Amino acid sequence: MERAENLARLLQASNELLLDGETMGSRSLNDYWDPVLVATAMEDQFGQLYPQGTVADVGYFMTLDERNPDAITMCLRQARENARTVRDQISDEMWTELNDLYLFIAEAGTLRLFQMSPQSVYDRIISGSLLFHGITDATLARTEGWQFIQLGKHLERADKTSRFLDIRVHAAPTGKALDSFQWTSILRSASAINTYRAEVGGEPGAEGVIDLLMFSTDFPRSVRYCVRQMDAHLHAISGTVLGSYGNSAERLAGRLLARLNFGSSEEVLEQGLQEYTDDLQSVLNELGQRIHETYVLLPQDQQSVIFLPSVDSQQRRWVELQQQQQQQ
Amino acid sequence: MLLDHYDTEDLFDEMFAGNGEVRPHYQLMRERLDTLSKAELDQKIRNLETLFLKQGITFTVYGDQQGTERVFPFDPIPRIIPAEEWQVVEDGLVQRITALNLFLYDVYHEQKILKDKVIPEEVVLSAAHYRPEFKDVDVPRDIYIHICGTDLIRDRDGSYLVLEDNGRCPSGVSYVLENRMAMKRVFPHLFGSAGVRSVDSYAADLLGTLQYIAPHGKMDPVCVLLTPGHYNSAYFEHSFLARQMGIEIVEGKDLIVVGAHVYMRTTRGLQQVDVIYRRLDDDFLDPKVFRADSMLGVPGLVSAVRAGNVALANAIGTGVADDKVTYAYVDKMIKYYLDQDPILQQVPTYLAWDEKDRGYILDHLSELVVKAANESGGYGMLIGPRASRAEIETFRGLILANPRNYIAQPVVYFSRHPTLTEGSVEGRHVDLRPFVLSGERTHILPGGLTRVALKKGSIVVNSSQGGGSKDTWVLHPS
Repeated sequence: MERAENLARLLQASNELLLDGETMGSRSLNDYWDPVLVATAMEDQFGQLYPQGTVADVGYFMTLDERNPDAITMCLRQARENARTVRDQISDEMWTELNDLYLFIAEAGTLRLFQMSPQSVYDRIISGSLLFHGITDATLARTEGWQFIQLGKHLERADKTSRFLDIRVHAAPTGKALDSFQWTSILRSASAINTYRAEVGGEPGAEGVIDLLMFSTDFPRSVRYCVRQMDAHLHAISGTVLGSYGNSAERLAGRLLARLNFGSSEEVLEQGLQEYTDDLQSVLNELGQRIHETYVLLPQDQQSVIFLPSVDSQQRRWVELQQQQQQQ
Repeated sequence: MLLDHYDTEDLFDEMFAGNGEVRPHYQLMRERLDTLSKAELDQKIRNLETLFLKQGITFTVYGDQQGTERVFPFDPIPRIIPAEEWQVVEDGLVQRITALNLFLYDVYHEQKILKDKVIPEEVVLSAAHYRPEFKDVDVPRDIYIHICGTDLIRDRDGSYLVLEDNGRCPSGVSYVLENRMAMKRVFPHLFGSAGVRSVDSYAADLLGTLQYIAPHGKMDPVCVLLTPGHYNSAYFEHSFLARQMGIEIVEGKDLIVVGAHVYMRTTRGLQQVDVIYRRLDDDFLDPKVFRADSMLGVPGLVSAVRAGNVALANAIGTGVADDKVTYAYVDKMIKYYLDQDPILQQVPTYLAWDEKDRGYILDHLSELVVKAANESGGYGMLIGPRASRAEIETFRGLILANPRNYIAQPVVYFSRHPTLTEGSVEGRHVDLRPFVLSGERTHILPGGLTRVALKKGSIVVNSSQGGGSKDTWVLHPS
C-alpha cells in the first residue's frame, strides 16, 4: 500500500535535505547572506534574535540554531522524523544514511567543527544528501514510493534553482547589472559551474546562465529538466498517457513544461528576471499544492482539512498524548 | 580477570552457583569473557551503542518536551538458559496460554467458571478491561490472545515464577531480535560452537499466526499493523515488525469502514483488510463504541469485528485476563479447564478487594509490593521496603478508596546476573519476558527479552525506570 500522507512526508524529507545542502553549501561571498535571509523570509526573526547580527551569526542561525525552524539541523530533524514514520517504505540503507547525517549535525562536536570550519560541515551535509539520493537510486524498488520521492526531489530542485537566480536579483534588482562574479556564485550554488564552462564557456553572463539554469534540456538541475521529470513521474503514478492529463496537477505540470520548452533567455530578460522567477515560483507552489490535494488529502478532508500543519497546536498535542499510550 | 571478584551475595545468580563456582552452561562463556580486558569490553560497548544509534533503535521518553530518544541500555553479557530448563518454561507457558484463551472464551460466552464459583463473578465483571459489548461475539478460531508477553522471574531457589501475563499489547520483541543481531556483530567470538538457538523465525511465525485467524479462513489475507502513531514510545518496534513481516503499517486514519468491512486507503483506491495486528488499546480502537474522543481509532471498526469481517490480534477484551486481580486465579483456571497442576508457579498475591487480604495488606504495607490492577510499564507501583512513610500513606489512601484496583505481593528478590558496571562486573536483578504466539500451533520464541535493573540493588527492570536488556541464549539440547 502507498500511504499517501506518509509518502508526502517522505517527499518533504528528501526535499529538505536537498534544499539545505544546496542553499547553504556553496556560499562564497559575505553579502550572500543578506539576500539569503530575505529570500527565506527569515530576516525578521534573525533581527530579533541577533540585534547586532554578524556574518558568523547568520551562518549559525541558518545552520545549527534550533530556534530557527528552517535551520539545517531542524530540517534534518524533521526529515529524519518523517523517514522514521515511513521506514517500512524506504530501504534500511536510506534510513541509516539519513539518521547518520542527523546524528552528525546534532552531535555536540559539530558546533566546534562549525566554528572552525563551516565549509567542512556543509561538505558533509552536501555529500550526505547526494549519498542519500544515490542510495535511493540503488536500493529502492521503482514503486510508487520511488516515483513520489523523485517527484518531490525535482519539485524542490526546480524551486531552488529558480530561487538561486532570484537571490542574486534581490541583491541587484536589475538583472543585467550583475557582474560575472555574482553569476559565478549562482552557478556554484546550483553545482553548475563545470557544466557552464563545458557547454557555454567564457565569462558567466545573464543570457548564458539563464539559458543553462532555466532552459537546459540535459542539465539535471535546470528548471526545465526538473519539470519534465515531474511531468513524467506524475503520469507514471496515475497511468495517464503523456501529453494528456488526468488531474489538475498533471495539467499544471504539462502547461509549465510547454512554457519552458518554448521559452528563452531573451523572453526572461524582457519580462524582467525577478518577475519571471516570482511567477515561476508561484506556479511551482501551486503545483505542489495540487499534488498534495490529489494524492495526500483524504476525501473528507478536502472540505475540512484537519491534518495540515496549520492545525491548532492544542489538537496536535492531544493526538500526541493519545499516541503516547503506555505499551505493556 | 573481570569475574574474579564477583560476589553473589547469597542471592540466586544465573551464572554462579556460589562465589567462584560457575554453572556448567556458563563455563564456555566465562572462558571467552576472560580473554577480554575491561578496555576491550568498553570499546565493544561503544561499538554496540553506535550500532543501535545508527539504526535508530531507540525509545521515546514521555513527559520530556523534546521527545528525547534514548538507546535502550544494553548489557553485553548474555543470559544463558540450558535446554532442559527451557523445556519446563516452554511447557508451562503453553499450559498457561491455553488456559487463558479458554478462560476468555468462557467469560465472553457461557461464563461457566463464574457460575461454578471457581472465580468470583465480581472480580471478572468489575475488571476495567472487561468488555460486556463482546459477550457472545465469536472471534476467529476462538483465540483471544495471539501474542502474549509473560513476565517471569526466578525465585531464591531458581524456580521460575510468573509475575504477570501481558495479554493486551506486549512489547519488546524487536529488542530481542536487534540485540541478537548486534551481539553477533560485535561479539562474534562468544557464539562459536556455543549452540545458541536462533530467534530469526519470529516475524514469520507472527505473520503465520495473523494469517491463521483471517475471517472465513480466507487464503492470502491482507494483514496490517495498526499503530497509535510515531509519537508512541514503541513506534520503532511497530515499524520494525511491519518491515520484517512485509505488511503495511497504518494509523487509524488510513483505514475506513464501509458496510462492516475494513478498507485501507491507497493511492489506487480502497483495499480490503482482513487481519489487523493492533498495537492500540481497546479504548482507542473505535470512537463510536469506546472512547468518543479517540483521534487514533477507526469509526465503525467494532461493527466490522462483530460482523466477523475482520480479525483483531489481540482480540478486544483480553485485558480481563491480564488484570492483576484475575492473575491470582490463573492456577484455578488451569485446574478447571485443563485438569492439570500448574507447571509454572506464580507469586503469592493478596487482593485488596478481599476484606481479609486487605487487612493484611494495610498492616504490612512496608513489606509488600503494591500494584495497580491495570497499570504497566512500572507505573502505579509501591515497593514497601524502599518507600518513604509519605508514599506508603498515599497508597493506603488509594487502596481504601478503590480496593478492587490494587493487589499486593511479597517482595521477591529475584535472580541476578553478572552485568557490566562502571568499574567492573556486578550482579544485577533480571527478569525474562518470553513471547508466546498462539495460532495454528503455539510458538514460543526461544528465550525472549531479559530485562536488567541497572541500578545497584534495584528490582525495577522497566526501560522507563532505568532498566536495560541483555541478549538471551537458549541452548540446543546437548
